[in-house]
Amino acid sequence: MTSLSATIQDAFNEAACAKNANKSEAARKKGCTKQLQPGGVAGGCAFDGAKIALQPFTDVAHLVHGPIACEGNSWDNRGSASSGPDLWRRSFTTDMHEIDVVFGGEKRLYKAIKEIIDKYDPPAIFVYQTCVPAMIGDDINAVCKFAAARFGRSVIPVNSPGFVGSKNLGNKLAGEALLEYVIGTQEPDRTTPYDINLIGEYNLSGELWQIKPLLDEIGIRILSCISGDGKYREVACSHRARVAMMVCSKAMINVARKMRERYGIPFFEGSFYGIQDTSEALRKIALMLIERGAPPQLLERTEAAVAREEAKAFAAIERFKTRFAGKKVLLVTGGVKSWSVVAALQEAGLEIVGTSVKKSTSEDKERIQKLMGHDAHMIEDLTPREMYKMLKEAKADIMLSGGKSQFVALKAAMPWLDINQERCHAYMGYVGIVKLMEEIDKALYNPIWDQLRTPAPWDNAEGNWQAKALAQVHVSATGGAPSSVGAEKAPHAKRTRSRKTVELSIIEDCVPAHGSTAVDTMAQDTNASAASKRASENKMPAQPVSALQAAE
Amino acid sequence: MTQNAENVLDHFELFRGPEYQQMLANKRALFENAHDPAEVERIREWAKTPEYREKNFAREELTINPAKACQPLGAVFASVGFESTLPFVHGSQGCVAYYRSHLSRHFKEPTSCVSSSMTEDAAVFGGLNNMIDGLANSYNMYKPKMIAVSTTCMAEVIGDDLNAFIKTSKEKGSVPAKFDVPFAHTPAFVGSHVTGYDNALKGIIEYFWDGKAGSEPKLERQPNKKINFVGGFDGYTVGNIREIKRIFELMGIEYTILADNSDVFDTPTDGEFRMYEGGTTLKDAANAINAKATVSMQQYCTEKTLAFIESHGQQVVAFNHPVGVSATDDFLMTLSRITGKSIPKGLEQERGRLVDAMADSSAHIHGKKFAIYGDPDLCYGLAGFLLELGAEPTHVLSTNGTKAWEEKMQALFAGSQFGKDCHAYPGRDLWHMRSLLFTEPVDFLIGNTYGKYLERDTGTPLIRIGFPVFDRHHHHRYPVWGYQGGMNVLVKILDKIFEEIDKNTNVVGKTDYSFDIIR
Repeated sequence: MTSLSATIQDAFNEAACAKNANKSEAARKKGCTKQLQPGGVAGGCAFDGAKIALQPFTDVAHLVHGPIACEGNSWDNRGSASSGPDLWRRSFTTDMHEIDVVFGGEKRLYKAIKEIIDKYDPPAIFVYQTCVPAMIGDDINAVCKFAAARFGRSVIPVNSPGFVGSKNLGNKLAGEALLEYVIGTQEPDRTTPYDINLIGEYNLSGELWQIKPLLDEIGIRILSCISGDGKYREVACSHRARVAMMVCSKAMINVARKMRERYGIPFFEGSFYGIQDTSEALRKIALMLIERGAPPQLLERTEAAVAREEAKAFAAIERFKTRFAGKKVLLVTGGVKSWSVVAALQEAGLEIVGTSVKKSTSEDKERIQKLMGHDAHMIEDLTPREMYKMLKEAKADIMLSGGKSQFVALKAAMPWLDINQERCHAYMGYVGIVKLMEEIDKALYNPIWDQLRTPAPWDNAEGNWQAKALAQVHVSATGGAPSSVGAEKAPHAKRTRSRKTVELSIIEDCVPAHGSTAVDTMAQDTNASAASKRASENKMPAQPVSALQAAE
Repeated sequence: MTQNAENVLDHFELFRGPEYQQMLANKRALFENAHDPAEVERIREWAKTPEYREKNFAREELTINPAKACQPLGAVFASVGFESTLPFVHGSQGCVAYYRSHLSRHFKEPTSCVSSSMTEDAAVFGGLNNMIDGLANSYNMYKPKMIAVSTTCMAEVIGDDLNAFIKTSKEKGSVPAKFDVPFAHTPAFVGSHVTGYDNALKGIIEYFWDGKAGSEPKLERQPNKKINFVGGFDGYTVGNIREIKRIFELMGIEYTILADNSDVFDTPTDGEFRMYEGGTTLKDAANAINAKATVSMQQYCTEKTLAFIESHGQQVVAFNHPVGVSATDDFLMTLSRITGKSIPKGLEQERGRLVDAMADSSAHIHGKKFAIYGDPDLCYGLAGFLLELGAEPTHVLSTNGTKAWEEKMQALFAGSQFGKDCHAYPGRDLWHMRSLLFTEPVDFLIGNTYGKYLERDTGTPLIRIGFPVFDRHHHHRYPVWGYQGGMNVLVKILDKIFEEIDKNTNVVGKTDYSFDIIR
């Protein structure tokens, strides 16, 4: 068995993973990565997972060994912020060519390492394995070992070629590389009883910096953050922390568990998304530090800061509550913890109609159940088609998701907000939640949605689903079957009504040219007078989606 | 020697050299008798205050940095839009040189236009002789099919009568009796270039329709199905008119573009100089009387023209420089209503694409505040589009805007939740705008090239949309009308927004943690 497959096996056999623990011996051996369905749309590979987990280390050179595609497509694709070095943003690759595939790429890799050291002199180089060199048998572990000895520099192989599995597995393999080659290799200049590690926090849009001032104030030191705004020396010294907080629930659980086993650092899973979660996490850090010998006054300082910040944040989100009343959210998240975002949204009075639990653990699901009640709509794996259906049927007013679902939402004419890694705003901590609410508010009330939901004003009835739905609304409004769904949607209607209404005469004037007369049909069906026709026209853009449900 | 023949520096670099800097400093210190820099600084800061704004807005007589031009500029712009037509401005030649350079600097094309070169004696004795000689010379030298006469202030102040002068000139044989010489009085001390456009266009139409200044019987209207289209004074005329033609053709509408200057401001380089190119044929101009309706894209450019056309029995419709989805919907539906032609699938798809693009990018524009200045219709169209995007057109200023325009703008604001803090400022100038930008700052400024001073002084990033745009090339080739035009405006705005984000995050080691590849 090669060391890579042993490592993978080991990653699958994660003791701290409840799901894994419940499996039979045989099932455990098979691993937990679902075999991808050939021909199906899929997400990122193990290489990508490893790269994004380690990329936020800012002062090291990230060298991708492989043909151009792997680095070429992933260069600088995440907004992790750095407080200093920018070397992590430089794109280093061996750019393997045909000749390297034939004769092997090890020498090329070795020379690339040398050139990086000559030119940039970084404290360490992370070398990423990719599919092609892995298949032709380039031994990056050996090259890294040789280069490290030759140049007296840390050269860390990250052995996670794309074909071994999913992005999530790649996260774990990246963690393994840290455990094997980095953590515990240096000693900090000084330690304090207040030192913590944050694991699985990537400082997207600089959101870690919204928490750090608070930790500074309370007197808690982040000894190492893996890996947001991280530096090589910090992670090398991270084994001296007193406690650790796991921020992203699944990505690096192996790192947290093994650090507990090797160095006795206890960890907990927490979140800085949402007001109450942030408070809970801060308290937990304080309590655990005290357990490990920090002075008990730490808790008092924490409580004082929590009380103050909570009051401010609650006051700040108060103004959104009226605007969010009755608004429904569909949550489709990848990395950011669903349960924690759920709590945050509920604090602002939003109703969550569904959340994806694809990457959530069973504890996560329990938490969601607790938060959302028994009718919680947990979606294992939402295909774009289902997502589209759900949005179009107006089970939600807005979707929060990663960028890849953006276009599904938009084509379904649904407000959408990016809450994954490519987002432009920091949502962490007491300040971040207010920012999130601001962004949701903007997304919900953007005038473009009315435009999206309204057909071209000259459009005829047969042409589109909106018009069909409207006809239905009209029938029910004039004595047809009552539509409770429609009634529920009243606020929805009010909002869209502000749109510039189309003069009926204009529609009537241009309708004959289309050969069909939506207005007339509606008038016949309902014996509506010209005046009520006008009224129904005005409602046109208002209730298309709810009516569609009724229509089906 | 500071300049060096081996390596000649241009003015960007040369005067930064120590010799020049020393020279300039000496001049300042020894000869300029300058104010104390601290005092200058104090006044500079004071000019940013609400107190100064109040004084500024109380200004009655002085106009500082006006955002408008004079009538004859608009007259020349309209006149070159007719087949082989030479604009002839009766008055002093200096004015005419301005119109030519103004238009050429914007369109990067030669502008053919002559004057009657009135001098002091003409001012004393009247300009009749200048008209007689001028028409004769123009006719013989430049071989036009028509000479469209307008006036500068000089001729207007002494009260030269164009109708009588042109008749006399014809009698004296300057041009053949049958040669077309329409005219319009276009004093700069009334209105602005949009008024001049209106007057000149009306003058030409009136000439053809109402019996060529009394020399022929008036035309009888024989209604047909055609539509006349008038663009108005428009810095994007090249792109816009071509886009409008495309839309008409997609819809299968028979049309006449009146004052079609889209070709004369965009002639190909192929070895031939074209003094005249394209344009509305004189026959079409005359036959335009028979059209079913006339559609104007800019109400305030065509008030008199449309009234005249309406009096001849046509339907007339005026828009306010429609930009964006709703405004274009309105335009197309009106065309559809008038002509009975349906709006084709292709245009509906373009509409969907614009809506899609707006949705993709709306988060970046939503809630941003803008200041706009320019011609009244352009301001209205852009403000409408911004409201549609969820942006706030906080200050909308039009030096040549009227009270009626102000009311119309305020009604537009009142119709949108994003318009509640927005104000229209008719008759104000760019110095007023400066005060507005200091006291009530906005995120972006939309205006012509002259806005770059405001951009520099107030730090408000300028999005160049308007006329003139001298310091950026070829924007006039891209339409701002139709759904495609809406897309162009959207991209222009977004480009600036993203450039600003990049600019604010590009300091190495300081702000570049947000200097992201993906926005």
